[in-house]
Order: sequence, then C-alpha cells, then structure tokens
Amino acid sequence: MSRINPLLVLLLLALLLVVSLVVSLGVGSYARGFADLPALLFGSADSLERAVMLELRLPRALSAMVVGAQLSLAGVMMQALLRNPLADPYVLGVSGGASVAALITLILGFSGFWVAAAAFAGAMINVVLVFGLVSRAGDWSPGRLLLTGVVIASGWGAVVSFLLAVSEGQALKSMLFWLMGDFSHVPAPGWHLLVLLVGLLFAWAVARPLNLVVRGALQAQALGVDPRPLRLGLFLVTSLLTASAVTQAGSVGFLGLVVPHMLRLLIGSDHRWLVPGAALGGATLLLAADTLARTVIAPQQLPVGVITAFLGVPLFLWLLNRNEAQR
Amino acid sequence: MNAAIRVGLHALLLALFSVHHAVADGIEVVDNKQRLVRLTVPAERIISLAPHTTELLFSAGAGDRVIAAVSYSDYPATAKSLPRVGSYDRIDLERVLALQPDLIVGWPSGNPGGALDFLQRHSIPLFLSEPLSFDDIADNIRKLGHLTGNDEKAELAAAGFEQRMASLGQRYRNATPVRVFYQVWQEPLMTISGEHIISKVLALCGGHNLFPNLPRLASSIGLEAVLAADPEAIIMPSSNPQWRELWRRWPQLRAVSDDRLLVINPDHLSRPTLRVADGAEEVCRKLQGEAE
Repeated sequence: MSRINPLLVLLLLALLLVVSLVVSLGVGSYARGFADLPALLFGSADSLERAVMLELRLPRALSAMVVGAQLSLAGVMMQALLRNPLADPYVLGVSGGASVAALITLILGFSGFWVAAAAFAGAMINVVLVFGLVSRAGDWSPGRLLLTGVVIASGWGAVVSFLLAVSEGQALKSMLFWLMGDFSHVPAPGWHLLVLLVGLLFAWAVARPLNLVVRGALQAQALGVDPRPLRLGLFLVTSLLTASAVTQAGSVGFLGLVVPHMLRLLIGSDHRWLVPGAALGGATLLLAADTLARTVIAPQQLPVGVITAFLGVPLFLWLLNRNEAQR
Repeated sequence: MNAAIRVGLHALLLALFSVHHAVADGIEVVDNKQRLVRLTVPAERIISLAPHTTELLFSAGAGDRVIAAVSYSDYPATAKSLPRVGSYDRIDLERVLALQPDLIVGWPSGNPGGALDFLQRHSIPLFLSEPLSFDDIADNIRKLGHLTGNDEKAELAAAGFEQRMASLGQRYRNATPVRVFYQVWQEPLMTISGEHIISKVLALCGGHNLFPNLPRLASSIGLEAVLAADPEAIIMPSSNPQWRELWRRWPQLRAVSDDRLLVINPDHLSRPTLRVADGAEEVCRKLQGEAE
C-alpha cells in the first residue's frame, strides 16, 4: 500500500508536532530536565530559568511552528495556482522583495522590528508589482503569472547580490543569517498566527475547487468552477502567508517546496487532506530543524535554513523511493 | 631619555638575536606568515590592503609613503584622502599594478588568497600582517618601520605601546576577576574566542571571556548560552540602544542587575593597532568600575 489512511497520517503528524514541541522546550544551553517543564511553564517563580522558557524558547518554538505551517500551506497553494511541481512560496518574488528591503535596513544599521517591518513592506511592493503587471495584461494563466513572477524574482535576486557585494564585515553576517532564515530574535507570533488561520480557512474552503483547478482551467470550467477569481484569491493569500513568514524569520528556504510533495507522497493529492497535512508537516519539520539549529553546535548557532535542507532532502528522497518501490 | 635608552636596548637586541637582517645590500624582515620580505632600498610607494595595516604604516612613520589603501582606511584622518584600490575583500588588482608599488602590505585572513597569490607572482614585495597579540602589533610596527627606513620613529611608537600595555598589566595584576561577555554583534549575536586580541585585552583587565573555546575568532552564539553563563559584565562596542535593550529584558542577569552593560568606543579595539592601548585603558577602567 503506497498511501496510508490520511486521517491516520494527520493524527500521527499532530502527535509528532506535540513531541517536537516538548523536546524543543526541554533542550537548550540553559540545560534543564523535562521533569521541570510544567513548573517552568505554568509556575509563578520569577527566575531566570522561567524567563528563558517563557521569553526565549516558547516564542521561538511557536514562531517556528507558525512559519513552517505558513510556508508549507503557501507551497501547496502556489503549486496548485501555477500547476507546477517546482513552484514554491518564493517563486513569484515575494521573498525577493522582502529580502531587498530587509537587507537595506540591515545595511543602514537597523535591527529587530524595523527589519521585519521593511521586509513586510518589500513583500507587499512585490505583490503590487506582480499583480499590476499581470492584471494590466489581463492574462491570469499560470504561464503568464509564473513568467512575470520569476522574472521579477530574478530582478530582486540581482539587487540582493549587489547589496551583498558592496557590504562587508558584520553587516554581511547579519544579511546572510537573514537570507538563510533565523529565529534567534523572533518575538511570539502575534498577528502572524491570525494570518495563518486566515490562510488555513481559505485553503480549506477552496480545497474542492483546487482539486479541479490542478487538472487545468478547461476541465475546471467544464465542471463549473471559474478559475479566475480562485487564482486571484490564491495569489493574494499565498502572498500574504509568505510575506508574514519571511517577516518573522527571513527567507527560510526549501520547506515550502518540499513539504507539499512529502504530504502528496504520503496521503495523495486531495487538497482537503493536503491542506491540514502540509500545515502540520511544515510546522513539525521547521520546529525540529530550529531545535537542532540552536543546539547542534551550541553555544554557537546555525541559521535554521541550513538545517531544513539537511533534514528535508534525505527525508524527501526516502519518501520518493519508498513510493516507487511499492508501486 | 627613557625612549633613548629603549632605542639603544632595541639596537642591542637586534644585534643579539638578529630579528632583522639589515644587510648592506638590502633590507630583510620576516612577516607574520614566516615569509622573508626583501627590499633593496627602503620602500617609497606602498599600497596598504587593510584598514589596520594603513594605521600601522602611519604609526611606523611611513604614512607619507602610502600611495593607496583600501576602503575604511579612516585612521589617522589623513588616510581618508588616500586613493583607493577597492575594499580589503575585493581588491582592484589592475589599479594596484598600475600604481607601481614597491611594497604591498596585505592581510592574509582578510584579503582574498587569489589576489595575494597574484601579487606574489608579479614579484611585488609583499608583507603579510596578521597581528594576534600585543607583541605582534609592536613587532609589525618595527618591521614596517624597518622596511621603510623609519627604524627610529617606529621603535619609539612600538616601545611606547609596549610600555602602556605593560603598565596596564602591572596596574590590574591583582584586579577583581570579572566574568565578561563581549558582544561583537547583535543579529546574529556574536562574540570572540580566547584567541582574539580583545580577549587578551579582557584578561589584562581581570576580565574572563566566558566563551574562550569557540573555534573561530568571532562566532555566533546562542542568547540562551549567554544567559546560562550569567556574565557579571557585558561589554559592547556599540552605543546602539537596541543592544542594551536586548539585555535589559533579562533583569535577573547579574550584568543587568549590577548595571554593568558597558559601552566602549567601537574604533579602538576593532583593529590590531596602537589604538588597542586606548581601548584597553577604557575597558580596564570600565570593567573595574573606576571613574574617568
């Protein structure tokens, strides 16, 4: 059997997410056993350990989960929107626009909130740009959208390369960490959680039409689905999800491309299962990756983007081959 | 007079240990990569490939012979107006060759290896400078002075530096030990290893670097690891208020509750030059809680 019961997979993923969360909260440089977790989380002592738990590990773990879910969800929808298995949340340039704005603020010496604000603004500028160009042409076909987005993304990429080339020293390090994705300074998710919920609800609501749209516009129309408003909705919601994700942690790569495929290999391509599955899988993978990123060579830190690929590549290849073998 | 005695002493040391071979037909010194650098006459047209080497050349009394430097060569002020040959990590080799230097001072850990190889292939005398200790700084100045025929002026500068460092060491020999976190950068949070010259400055003032065993001179470090180590003082070479805010979120931290978030002048300790003495004096004073 190459496909497992989707409900079972979802339940297992949820369980895995809880386990990852407990592990993530229980390990770190400020070593403390798992037995103390409840007291640290729910107690009332005003100790440094409790502060580490509530202000460092917990917000970081929550952010990793939210960003992982957002990127994977955006990946599922982007792949459906563009009808292209190689599509990821960044393919239309959202992260490129965010990167350019974030790197410029880093060069100017800002950090924290201002970099995040600039990243969000940059992502939105990209959305307006792509949207404007595509709707001026009036052609919302996947090919047109993909080409426009990819070319604009390349443009952002050139600006990023230029900014990296003219920077040096410490600022360069900040920029590289941002580009690879890093959770060391993220606050608790806050309104980003709301973005995730909106994205989830939207994706869930359009799951059935999505199943039709991936087969092609003509077939969808024949089955009574007008693909154009759906495409517009997909474009806007994936952009918002992606913008929110890169605003929190920089452009964490790889996740949005591969998690949707992993879930397709596990439970098939029915979006009613794929949407919640990808959200759970992405949250788990990024949380696990971030836990490793901050512990594996502690006290030194790695950018989480390095780990997502290290974990994801073998996992994906294993899933792929397992399916081939059982076909 | 003191200086004159020291110059005499140095001349004696020169003779005894033949640190430099001032042979009749040429000038020879050994650089920080143990390469022999040989000139027939004192250098007249020098290109400096790092901000710190520009500063060392000026300290050695050879500032007027530096014909070009890389960007960020901003000290002393006259260095700012020098023609540029790119930045330390991206050097405009064509311009370097066009300027026809008779000595290039490079920085092996900062300059691209390919560029330094290229310059060596074109047999332009190349002095590689990588000062990792206070002695290295003084030694670099003496050697650069020797290569430019400025032995006396360089000796004066080097000996003056050695004396300032020695008197600091003497003064703080019995200072109260303080566990210090030295914050190089905020995002990502970075600190220095025990090999870094700043760590040696800390040690001079009774400070103990909390992370001496990091693999690279400057490494990223987890905030949680710093909190777990609970430093008694945090030194930061930036007056950016965001850097202090990061720590004030943790009032339980010793350095915060004791109000020892120490901001120091970022220019003095950032390069291995004579200004390290100014930086060391500031660090010692602030670390040991002395009034200015």
